[in-house]
Amino acid sequence: MPAMEEDVVPDFCRKPVLILGIGNVFFGDDGFGCALVEYLETHFEVPGGVCLQDAGTGVRLLLFTLCLSQVRPRRLLIVDAVDVGREPGEWFELDPADIPVVKLDDFSMHQLPTSNMLRELQQQTGVEVRVLACQTGPLPAEVCPGLSEPVERAVPEAARWVAREYFGGAGTEPDRSRDRKGAFAEPRA
Amino acid sequence: MGKTIVIQPVTRIEGHAKITIQLDDTGNVNLARVNVIELRGFERFCMGRPVEDMPRITPRICGVCPWSHHLAAAKACDAVFGVTPPPAGAKLRELCNSIAYMEEHILHFYFLAGADFLLGPDADYSVRNVIGVLGAAPEVARRVVRVRHMCAKMLEILAGKSIHPQAAVPGGFSKPLAKDERDELRKMADEALELAKFSIAFAKESVFPKYLDVVKSLGVITSGFIGTVKENGALNLYDGKLRLMASDGSFDDFPYDRYTEFIGEHIEPWSYLKFPYAKKRGGFSLEDNAPSLYRANTLARINVCDFIDTPLAQAELEEFRRKFGRPAQLTLLYHWARLIELLYNAENAIRLLDDPDITSLETRVKVTPRAARGVGCTEAPRGTLIHDYETDADGMLTNMNLIVGTTHNNAPINLSVTQAAKSLIHDGKYDQGVLNTVEMAIRAYDPCLSCATHRLDGKMSVKLDIFDAQGSLIDSLAN
Repeated sequence: MPAMEEDVVPDFCRKPVLILGIGNVFFGDDGFGCALVEYLETHFEVPGGVCLQDAGTGVRLLLFTLCLSQVRPRRLLIVDAVDVGREPGEWFELDPADIPVVKLDDFSMHQLPTSNMLRELQQQTGVEVRVLACQTGPLPAEVCPGLSEPVERAVPEAARWVAREYFGGAGTEPDRSRDRKGAFAEPRA
Repeated sequence: MGKTIVIQPVTRIEGHAKITIQLDDTGNVNLARVNVIELRGFERFCMGRPVEDMPRITPRICGVCPWSHHLAAAKACDAVFGVTPPPAGAKLRELCNSIAYMEEHILHFYFLAGADFLLGPDADYSVRNVIGVLGAAPEVARRVVRVRHMCAKMLEILAGKSIHPQAAVPGGFSKPLAKDERDELRKMADEALELAKFSIAFAKESVFPKYLDVVKSLGVITSGFIGTVKENGALNLYDGKLRLMASDGSFDDFPYDRYTEFIGEHIEPWSYLKFPYAKKRGGFSLEDNAPSLYRANTLARINVCDFIDTPLAQAELEEFRRKFGRPAQLTLLYHWARLIELLYNAENAIRLLDDPDITSLETRVKVTPRAARGVGCTEAPRGTLIHDYETDADGMLTNMNLIVGTTHNNAPINLSVTQAAKSLIHDGKYDQGVLNTVEMAIRAYDPCLSCATHRLDGKMSVKLDIFDAQGSLIDSLAN
């Protein structure tokens, strides 16, 4: 097999730090991870060694590639929404090992839980895996984008923590705020 | 006393599919039902939005095949605006489609359904994970990983990113391809073709022969098929006309925007997902070999096309038809057909990259809002994907209908699970291996069951509940 030249390795494998915001923006607070990535992109200078991606509902494709790759980031941060019985908007670090064990067979991209691959990355590849989680409010049963007030408030606070931990301490926050909801904002009248 | 076995692969908040197997009083399978919960309320959410937002909103429906939604939406927008993208715009879209297909088909064959073959359906769950596959077939896995890297890299070069793409726009493609980028992509496409050639040779030599008995018996049903072909009948995955084939091989061809004349959508009270059926061949029926029953996805496309216009894939198609006829009906042949498509996409990517049009700077045309209806269709890896939009004079959406690939296969999946369960569960006896094999019949269709909310903790995976005839839970198993 040819060597794994750097030029064929996608950025999300190659850069030393990978930050993935995950969730579905169509379902209320489930979009926390995506909103946080957008906040970081629009309010902070992202260092060159950091790959910051809104992975949305496609995170498993990226994690799958990471699991199989010979080139991986040293540090991986997953930002996601969870429901673990805390107060809505409360954000905290979660050890992947503490995510409930639910399934060990991984043979459908639509069914395998992300948690399995995170554990595999952490335990079998040496990548430092951390999870920043935010407690959601009740999630809508039907498509309904937009964060609840408590989770919306958590976005800038959590973003500052990420910048402090992963952006080399710079954490510069120029005033470049804009409408985070973009295409998912209310339709124009 | 009759029993009901429920296999519930629920890993996300909205749930996915619940497989219910109802036994009769003798412990044999009475019926099986696969109940899918789909994304609800999406169409309503889109009403009143600018139609040009659809190519960037719809990829969020599914994180597994976002390119298919992206391209179907862009094509529907072209139709709404009444424009035809310039050759470079259309070819760049098709190139992205072929690369996304390669990434997807490699993944599915080697690490999803392929793992059923590599590790066997009875393998312990502790080794049935991604890294377990690497351990089981390390040499093959390493080769595969490199090409998967390249596919992701190719999409980054063409479109900026592979997840939630935004490069296709109404009227064409947003970014021309530079000549040096084309040269870089061409080298990668060559390597992808080598892997595609290796994959089908490897499968024919080392995988399929071992499982030929399973292929011939598991989940077998008889149905018609749907897929896209060019005007001359050649396989195409990006554009053409729809072909709906009956189980006897006769077919109707029609343009996308006339799909409602040929495809009906039936509703069953026990399922959230619609059941499309061939309208001109009788009413909906959930019976094997019903005239209105049809399937989508790889095997369907390989069946409906008259030929493949790339030489290596055509040679494989000819061999496939010599072995299995046309239309081939064995459900597990979806895997074989997937590898023929992998080869076709690798050859097609090279053909497109060698086309002088691909580096033209003319990649899009201007669009102007108008009141219109537009239907866009692509072949998603999991089946024919239809986006049907209507707009007002300002270009705002007033109506929409989506038929996703898995929906076409809703009835066939139910029939295959019933067939698999009947052949594997006798006298009330079953074990984990048997139930994994029932799931294997579903995986052949590579269904997209859960384009809904994602959550880290994933809830539960496969849960088996046994109920008595009165509905009381008498046993519960989970892995």
